[in-house]
Amino acid sequence: MNDVLELELIVGFIISFTLIGIFVASAKKGNFDDQKKLMDGMLFDSPNDLQAAAEKERKQEAMRAKKQANK
Amino acid sequence: MISRRITLSNVKCTHCQLEFDESVMIKEEPSLHFCCNGCQGVYHLLKEDGLDDFYDKMRNATIAPPIESSNDSSNFDLESFKARYIKTDADGFSRVDLVIEGIHCAACVWLNEKILHQTEGVLEASINFSNNKAKIVWDEEVIPLSQIIEKIRSIGYNAYPYDYNEVSQQAVESKRDYITRVGVAIFGTMNIMMIDVAKYAGFFSGMDTNILHMIHIVEFIFSTMVLFYSGWVFFKGAYYGLKNKIINMDLLVSGGATITYIYSLTILFGAKGHSYFDSVSMIIMFVLVGKYLEVLGKKSAMDSMDKMKSQIPLEATVVENGVKKVVMLDQIKVGDIIEVKNGEKASVDGQSIVDVSTFDESSLSGESLPVEKRKGDVVFSGTINTGTVMRYEATKNYANSTLSTMMNLLEDSLASKPKIEEVTNELSKYFSLTIIVLAILTYVGWYFFSGDFEKSLIITISVIVIACPCALALATPIASLVGISWATEKGLLFKEAKFIETFAQATTVVVDKTGTITEGDLTVRSQSAKLDSDTLNLLYSLVEASTHPVSRSIRNYISGSVEDIKILELEKIEQLSSQGVQAFYQGKKLLGGNAKLMETQGILVKESDHTVYHFAIDGVLLSSFELEDSIKEDVEALVNYFKSIDVEMVMATGDHANVANRVAKEAGIEKVYAEMSPIDKAEYISKLKEEGKRVVMVGDGINDTLALSKADIAIAMGSGADVALAVSDVVILNNSLKGIKDSFIISRRTYKFIKQNLMLSLVYNVVTIPLAMAGYVMPLVAALSMSLSSLMVVGNSMRIKQKD
Repeated sequence: MNDVLELELIVGFIISFTLIGIFVASAKKGNFDDQKKLMDGMLFDSPNDLQAAAEKERKQEAMRAKKQANK
Repeated sequence: MISRRITLSNVKCTHCQLEFDESVMIKEEPSLHFCCNGCQGVYHLLKEDGLDDFYDKMRNATIAPPIESSNDSSNFDLESFKARYIKTDADGFSRVDLVIEGIHCAACVWLNEKILHQTEGVLEASINFSNNKAKIVWDEEVIPLSQIIEKIRSIGYNAYPYDYNEVSQQAVESKRDYITRVGVAIFGTMNIMMIDVAKYAGFFSGMDTNILHMIHIVEFIFSTMVLFYSGWVFFKGAYYGLKNKIINMDLLVSGGATITYIYSLTILFGAKGHSYFDSVSMIIMFVLVGKYLEVLGKKSAMDSMDKMKSQIPLEATVVENGVKKVVMLDQIKVGDIIEVKNGEKASVDGQSIVDVSTFDESSLSGESLPVEKRKGDVVFSGTINTGTVMRYEATKNYANSTLSTMMNLLEDSLASKPKIEEVTNELSKYFSLTIIVLAILTYVGWYFFSGDFEKSLIITISVIVIACPCALALATPIASLVGISWATEKGLLFKEAKFIETFAQATTVVVDKTGTITEGDLTVRSQSAKLDSDTLNLLYSLVEASTHPVSRSIRNYISGSVEDIKILELEKIEQLSSQGVQAFYQGKKLLGGNAKLMETQGILVKESDHTVYHFAIDGVLLSSFELEDSIKEDVEALVNYFKSIDVEMVMATGDHANVANRVAKEAGIEKVYAEMSPIDKAEYISKLKEEGKRVVMVGDGINDTLALSKADIAIAMGSGADVALAVSDVVILNNSLKGIKDSFIISRRTYKFIKQNLMLSLVYNVVTIPLAMAGYVMPLVAALSMSLSSLMVVGNSMRIKQKD
């Protein structure tokens, strides 16, 4: 009984501390600076938006690579 | 002749979703209706760019029609602009911080970010919805900033740069820091509370000691995290307090929590009794959430200030030997000749060198009508040229000009606004010191008396736990919370709880006139002679040709009283600066305007204390309209209330003495100060404070901001300027004067209960501490009675709302 409890506690700790670690890291990065946008963001998700986000990433990578090459 | 029936239809603009007058509708396909060319243009632009998703995302939101901007975006490419606002990162990309004007909803943010991301050369565009600030990173070799700004303007928004200074950076970092600490505190406390369910169930039904020990270990881990990570701010505060020889609430909170934590540790390591790890994390969490709300309030005040600063003109046109050149504000020298176009703001103070011009000084004086400036008259920075192009000579540089001085004064007031010392802090200073001394005495006394270390420690902990300042710490905030929630129900927003105390002690209330005592809209009070329908059509067509507030009021008056109005096609319409409008219809000369206009045309009119609009055809005066800014309905009740509670009411306004005296007389206000500049008002408030009075200032315009920031309590009406709302302590959302009366009633009653709570918690301590010192109270009972004392305070506070 105690062994099971101990195991459950260890697993629980690992999961919860991982989550709180992600929360702290994202807050420090500024993800919660604009809570209003964060909340509305959930309503705004659509396949088109995801596609646009991926395109944005690709564009940023390309621009950075081009800038490096020019240097 | 064009004949249209003026009716308000239910047609909604396809772009901005606002209802508009059918007479101005631009119709395309059967389902496309636009209120203006701007909306039509933006709609097609978005459709071409594949961004028509915007309308789905808007849902039921409305937006303002596109802003027509006269600013020349090429100024954003000036070297002096780049030096001041643009930063270059390590990769060689440029970065600028902008405030985007016109953002109303999440869809606006989506649209702006989307259109910028689609723009070639823009690496990153991120807009903060809460404060409308945007961070743009782009490659200057691909696209200049002016084109990015043009892109924003093309979809109906506008952008201004702002200095992302160290203070703003600190505010952002402080907010992030508090979010993580509050998040961790809530996370830790919730976990402990879940585990506590098992612990308390076991307390009554029995529990294996190994399992209880395991629960204590889990509680220990979470509460350690909460106490030393989330509660770090209190330890820091306590340390700096002690360094400056101040015993503050941070010391009480951190001290109380640490002692409870140490006691619980002794239980964890084998001592008998109950652990209080849950109390440790709860004390930290509740107090930390309160602190976080304070940080949010301060940050929002700073955001509003940034918004206002961003509207300061960036540059000015200086004329040197007949050659015009655009320079940054700090390069303007005294003696420079500055040219200001229609709609532009004067950048520095100076003296007019043209015969006549008009300026909108509402941002400084609150005067709603444009002010005429003749040769030699002073032109103030920040005022808008409402006439044709004019020139003036700079008499001050930018740093010494009115606008810059006001900004600096405001910043100082925001930074150094004296914090009202809370009654609890004053009491707790001595209280906590006394408890620490008593605890030491108890330990020393019992150790010498019994020689038993453990017993002495247990009794000492009982003293500290029973005297833990929970009730004392709760006495003010819980009563304030009830008071504030009551106030919120009535449309009153107290920005910080402590304002209740100062409010309750107020002795003098200073009110502004326009928008506070009066409605702030001109309405027609009387008409000297009735006009037949044909003449009314002529008058309506004449006022329709002008955008002046007086013409607008006459237009509203006619359309509100007559159903069928025809707009006639007038000829040779001429706006006569500061006087009125002249036009011709089928050879007849129409004149509409003030007494000065009539005099120049040889028409005699009566003098009046009010604003009067005269209408004449072919030199014959047909009718005169007397206008007034009507007094709000509930002024009399407010004046009587202040008299009944012995609070002095004073009216301070920038308006003319005649108008101010008439309004004060009608309202029943005995003390009036007229023709006061914003600085005069602020000095008057400071003088009252020097006399020992507690001053409440009520205002709504930017011109009141300085005085508001000087007052002990600043109240802004909800419809007021952003910056006035930012420096205010209390905001009256429903814009009603009854709100001021309610604020007084609520704060006075809440303050009474705060005092009662403090008394209750002190009596509790006076009774229980001697019992604990005598060894009659075990730590468990001490903790229980401590909780009961808190409940007592909470219960008493709930009574605040009972009498409405």
